[in-house]
Amino acid sequence: MKNQMNEDNSYIAQFLAGEEEGFEILVRKYQNRVLNIVHSLIRQDRESEDIMQEVFLKVYRSLRSFKQRSQFSTWLYRIVVNTVYDFLRKRRNFVSNEGILEMSAVTCAGPRDALLIREKEAMIQKALLGIPLKFRAAVVLKDIDGLSYIEISEVLRCSIGTVESRIYRARQFLKEELFKLGGGTI
Amino acid sequence: MKECIKECIRVRKLLSRYIDKEVGRSDTILIEDHLDVCFFCKKELRELSRVKELVLKKERKVLPQDYLVCRLRQEIAGERRMMKQESWLTGLEDFSRKVIPIPVTVIVLSTVFMILSSRQQLSEYPLEEHLLSGAQTTTETALGLMLAARD
Repeated sequence: MKNQMNEDNSYIAQFLAGEEEGFEILVRKYQNRVLNIVHSLIRQDRESEDIMQEVFLKVYRSLRSFKQRSQFSTWLYRIVVNTVYDFLRKRRNFVSNEGILEMSAVTCAGPRDALLIREKEAMIQKALLGIPLKFRAAVVLKDIDGLSYIEISEVLRCSIGTVESRIYRARQFLKEELFKLGGGTI
Repeated sequence: MKECIKECIRVRKLLSRYIDKEVGRSDTILIEDHLDVCFFCKKELRELSRVKELVLKKERKVLPQDYLVCRLRQEIAGERRMMKQESWLTGLEDFSRKVIPIPVTVIVLSTVFMILSSRQQLSEYPLEEHLLSGAQTTTETALGLMLAARD
């Protein structure tokens, strides 16, 4: 982790010295992780990409004021979560049709195994979206990105105890949702 | 019975951390000892582990390496162009704010000077006489004559 921190700091130093390449390396390094977090939190493909772009633009604009008191990744994920919260606040009552359309398209075509995988995938995503955002954010950071409880507590600015209970409650919600969607089995 | 429920509550609070391998040694022992004797907590552990497994198996999206970098380059270049344009316009605005008062002041001062000088020249030259002479009447002359007539 320390290596990664030093590596990120050297890219930041490169950027601050006027070399845009430093920023581009950071983008290439984190783009998939950010995309998967955003996608797990909001589901919509096109909007996930736009949010991801907004996140990195925010990083670009404020990297000069980043104090390096925390890891770059922690700071980045904080921006990700806040940007997603803002997006969802703006579209409080949003209902996505995209996933449903995507699902039905797969249902009509594809081989049987692929179909089952996609159906399961859609079921997990639907279950994830069924749980309250603060619990969802904690479990996504843990299981999608593999952050530790300490890192999650830094990103979400709460205690480790809170992270622990949010992840536990998120998994319980997920269990109930998956039971419902899977007809009594997970 | 009460003791057992108390322990169940305590263990369940720790179950997620246990699944994530984030518990200390003493808590691990406590949880494992309890799981050996509690069917319900064992079932809960199995189900929560399955949930974690399913989320872990969730498909991960992978972007082409330079996809986002290209999008960002375009966006940043656009922003820079906008900023340049804005700063050019602001500069022009500042410049005009500084420069415009100079000719205005010059015009005002020269008008005042001309009025005063024509007033001095025409102090003994009445307005009626000037009008009857058929000479060209400029604004300055007229004003000077009127002021002189008033005096």
